[in-house]
Amino acid sequence: MPNELKIMMLTWEFPPRIIGGISPHVYYLSKSLTKNHAEVYVVTCDFPGAPEHETVDDVEVYRIDSYKNPSPDFASWVYLMNMNMQKEAAAIVNRLGGVDIFHAHDWLVATAGIGLKHVFRKPLLATIHSTEIGRRNGLHSDYEKMIHETEAWLTYEAWRVICCSNYMISHVKWAFGLPEDKLVMIPNGVDVKEYEKNANVDLSSFRRKFALPEEKIVLFVGRLVYEKGIHVLINAVPKILEKVNAKFVIVGSGYMKESLSEIVKKMGLSHKVLFTGFLDDETLRKLQKCADVSVVPSLFEPFGIVALEAMAAKSPVVVSDSGGLSEIVEHDVTGVKVYPNNSDSLTWGVTRVLLDEKYANWLRENAYKKVKENFSWEKISRQTKNVYSTVLNEYSKTFWA
Amino acid sequence: MRTIIFSWEFPPRVVGHLAEYVRDLALQLAKHRVETHVITYHDYLTGEFTENGGIKTHRVTNPVKTHISVLTWVLTLNQEVERAAANIYYGANKQVDLMDVHEWHFIPAAVTLKKALDIPFIYSVESLEDHRSHGADSPFNMAIKSIEWLGMYEAQKIVVKSDWMANEAVRAYKVPMEKIKVVPPKTSTWLKTILETYKSLSGKRAPDA
Repeated sequence: MPNELKIMMLTWEFPPRIIGGISPHVYYLSKSLTKNHAEVYVVTCDFPGAPEHETVDDVEVYRIDSYKNPSPDFASWVYLMNMNMQKEAAAIVNRLGGVDIFHAHDWLVATAGIGLKHVFRKPLLATIHSTEIGRRNGLHSDYEKMIHETEAWLTYEAWRVICCSNYMISHVKWAFGLPEDKLVMIPNGVDVKEYEKNANVDLSSFRRKFALPEEKIVLFVGRLVYEKGIHVLINAVPKILEKVNAKFVIVGSGYMKESLSEIVKKMGLSHKVLFTGFLDDETLRKLQKCADVSVVPSLFEPFGIVALEAMAAKSPVVVSDSGGLSEIVEHDVTGVKVYPNNSDSLTWGVTRVLLDEKYANWLRENAYKKVKENFSWEKISRQTKNVYSTVLNEYSKTFWA
Repeated sequence: MRTIIFSWEFPPRVVGHLAEYVRDLALQLAKHRVETHVITYHDYLTGEFTENGGIKTHRVTNPVKTHISVLTWVLTLNQEVERAAANIYYGANKQVDLMDVHEWHFIPAAVTLKKALDIPFIYSVESLEDHRSHGADSPFNMAIKSIEWLGMYEAQKIVVKSDWMANEAVRAYKVPMEKIKVVPPKTSTWLKTILETYKSLSGKRAPDA
């Protein structure tokens, strides 16, 4: 194979260590890059039971001791972990005889990435999945400002900054004052094959664990926190039930769980709303296939991977017209868009899908096609590889080369 | 011989004894035909690069301005130290014989540079966290101790100023005594011993890099 690129990915989470969306993202991206003439070396934090070094789907994974140093707080832990990550990665790079590019995911590996860039004089790329100023809706303490400035530093040092939606591109551009030509939009992806596995399986007995046969399933997947808009759905429950017999299945947990189930109890609708807590991937995918409608009512959403997963599972989606969701879903074609933080609008969207099977099927088919065309990891890895090539071409004309 | 000295204080930025000591050392080294680079913190009153009395001083500043502790300040300053050191290394045709790291602050940078670029380093100890914090063992103190431990473990040689400190390093960090060199300052053999220690390391590849 001509000119295999050697990419070193830096990430604080990689399966089986799963904290948020970065872990599956880096896994699927790395895996598909190896099928696209790239060698990928992932350096990540350790996890109980996971080996220090292993090959996962042709990806070389190195896990570093991340709890070696006692730390007074989370941010100090991050910087100390980076100290260890950087020294281990430096030794690995030399054992490999060098790498071509360092690719860092979020501020959690910023200092390791920046240091490695300079000592080896190789280009650094950053994917910004989320920002401190976005997560906290502003910067309210020195702690948050410090993280924000670390993020800014990472984007400054990076040759290119990748974001997964146009919404995030403009957010990151605003937050760090970055020039337009430094930013690249590459969407997040979904592995459709994972959903095709269950294509011909009879799921009716599985479905009965969650709902009666005559009940439509309205599915919500996400952390039960304010920004995910779960309260909007809960407020819509009685209004939707006036028109359709349905079961509301709520997957995930979060600080709002107690108060939400209390509200449901007061409504006298406990038998219509099921809080499942956290579910494993396999169960979740089956559930998504069974769902008559999947609801993503987020108020703040950098991308909206849950909507994409539902679309891959051929479940019709109703999403709030916000953030990355606005870009994934085309209204009346691949899903239904409703006003954010508006339970009447959400009720309208959900009942429209549930009461019109022909319309629902039209959405399913269009959405599935769109996911396959635009959000496949194969395509995403090609786009990412193009960014690598562009950067290496620019690099070859610098005095570092 | 070409050496890079790391110190978080260097005149005109004087925090404690260390600044003056490092300047005297650098001046003497330069006089004895050692190409001496000092990487230190930039305090806005000084230029990025100055050359005085044969000492080449490189000053770096922290890109992250807001901090919650000296620990986060130090850990984000280290990448700029690495950048400055890498610039010296690549600018000198990859010929740097050793790094002399004073105190714990820039140990993270030294360890990465050792692993990445095969440059051996000396950890010159002025004081230990155990003494500075009077035995306190909060996570903050322990984090600093863990960086000191890393320096003791990764350094090719540890230089201390007294037999007492040598014993303390052995006690606190289980360092083998033969790794430690006692070099009392302000004695007639001071510079000669340092030059010998430098020479014993110079040109040696870092063993596990």
